[in-house]
Amino acid sequence: MNVATMLGAPGEALRQPQQQWAAAVTAVLREAFGYHFERNAFFRAQCDADGVTPADVSTRADLPKIPMLPVSMFKRPDAHMLLTAPLTDIELEIRSTGTGGVPSVARRDTTTVDRAVVGITSSYRDFFALSKGAGLFLCPSTAEAPEMGMVKVFNMLNGVFDDHVYLVRDYAFDADEALRYLRSREGEMTRHIIGPPFLVNRFLRFLELEDIELKLDPESMVITLGGWKRYTGESISRPEFDAKLQRYLGVGAGRIRDMYGMIESNMLAIECEHHRKHVPPWCYVSIRDVDDPSVELTPGRTGGIAVLDALNTAYPGFLLSDDIGEVDESGCPCGRTGQTVSFRRRRQGAELGCCAVSIEKFLDSQEIVAECAVPAPAGGR
Amino acid sequence: MGRFSATVVDHFTNPRNLGEIDDADVRAFVGNPVCGDQILLTANVAADDVVSDIRFQAFGCSASLAVASLLTATIHGSPLGELTDLDAARLEELAGGLAPDQRHVAALGADVAHRLVNNFRRGANDDDPISCSV
Repeated sequence: MNVATMLGAPGEALRQPQQQWAAAVTAVLREAFGYHFERNAFFRAQCDADGVTPADVSTRADLPKIPMLPVSMFKRPDAHMLLTAPLTDIELEIRSTGTGGVPSVARRDTTTVDRAVVGITSSYRDFFALSKGAGLFLCPSTAEAPEMGMVKVFNMLNGVFDDHVYLVRDYAFDADEALRYLRSREGEMTRHIIGPPFLVNRFLRFLELEDIELKLDPESMVITLGGWKRYTGESISRPEFDAKLQRYLGVGAGRIRDMYGMIESNMLAIECEHHRKHVPPWCYVSIRDVDDPSVELTPGRTGGIAVLDALNTAYPGFLLSDDIGEVDESGCPCGRTGQTVSFRRRRQGAELGCCAVSIEKFLDSQEIVAECAVPAPAGGR
Repeated sequence: MGRFSATVVDHFTNPRNLGEIDDADVRAFVGNPVCGDQILLTANVAADDVVSDIRFQAFGCSASLAVASLLTATIHGSPLGELTDLDAARLEELAGGLAPDQRHVAALGADVAHRLVNNFRRGANDDDPISCSV
């Protein structure tokens, strides 16, 4: 199965027998490796230093031989070195800013954007089967945050809805307005909520404090992305989150779906109804020994998450992230094969870095400014 | 014009004056808290108020890295007094044009140039808030 087939029919690609999956992902990654090996001097030097060529990758067991780029390199002022494509071919720059404040910028050329848009859209169809309804987006719109990876990925979902609204404006969130929107669509459309866990959680806290129980619709979904740790370091408990969604909005756990990704990669791992996040067929997640990243750990063992992404033609999409987790290659009851990935935490010493964290941090700072503002004298100035 | 002008492509791909001067006469930093674009300039200023050496550190989109490089190439050898006239429109012109979503970096560049002048005249220095754990 080639990349084009995987992109157009991820449902089929995600349900191949495990052996066929391994052969297909190896083939597309070998091809991607060859592409960058031939065209990227910086990557080629890394390959030469490691003594590895595309001819050395013939089976899945060879995939760990492909040299990796640490994601921290995407923050560098000399990040042009990473590019395989010339800057003139770069169409989209996506960024994420963590607690450290230095943005990570991933540059995608036209081919990569074409592939990513098709792949993500068709994956949404496979996992969510959404084609109508009302979408309450608890995040800024792309107009307000045009380069923010999380918002871009959410935004690709809004086209399937008959109506949608973004309810973080000027970096302020009004939970009462969210409630009014959901009530306004009651009996008209199936209502869905999309946003980072911390903002959905804020909305739930508002419902809890106001003692409001609002039943959404039987087919309603809650779709999240952006991590479960707040910028303060405090974690949001997934079981508590699911229980509150059931209690205050009537959405069952099987319709609450989290996603995991990183802006530097075209991997968006989407949760099925059994709460396992499936790695898309064009990516391979390799878990690496934290102390020796050249060593791949077997499924089930916890280590550094490395992502090998076959879609990227702008730069080598072979990335060693700052995330810690594990993969599972046992069959999923949903029928999908390949790998599922679980994120556990950030690597020790790594900053908390994601779009949701920067939104929350900025949103809180704005609220503090608003709370401390000196009221204008009567009559204004 | 494509998404990036020839000047932006050139400065992004071959950045001039990248780095930081140890014990610089003046340091100026400007960052955008929302998008995260950041430029740090460090410079030495000769007795005749001419910028004799300048380096930049920048983080953000390709246009911001290119404009930071272009800015140092423009400032190097110029009298400080001339920098106060350097505005976003002039920087955009020097960059060979910027796409609408890139124009904020011209404003960022002008801001940090003005801050460099003000800091030097006030004897002030910005701390180095840029940290990049690479």
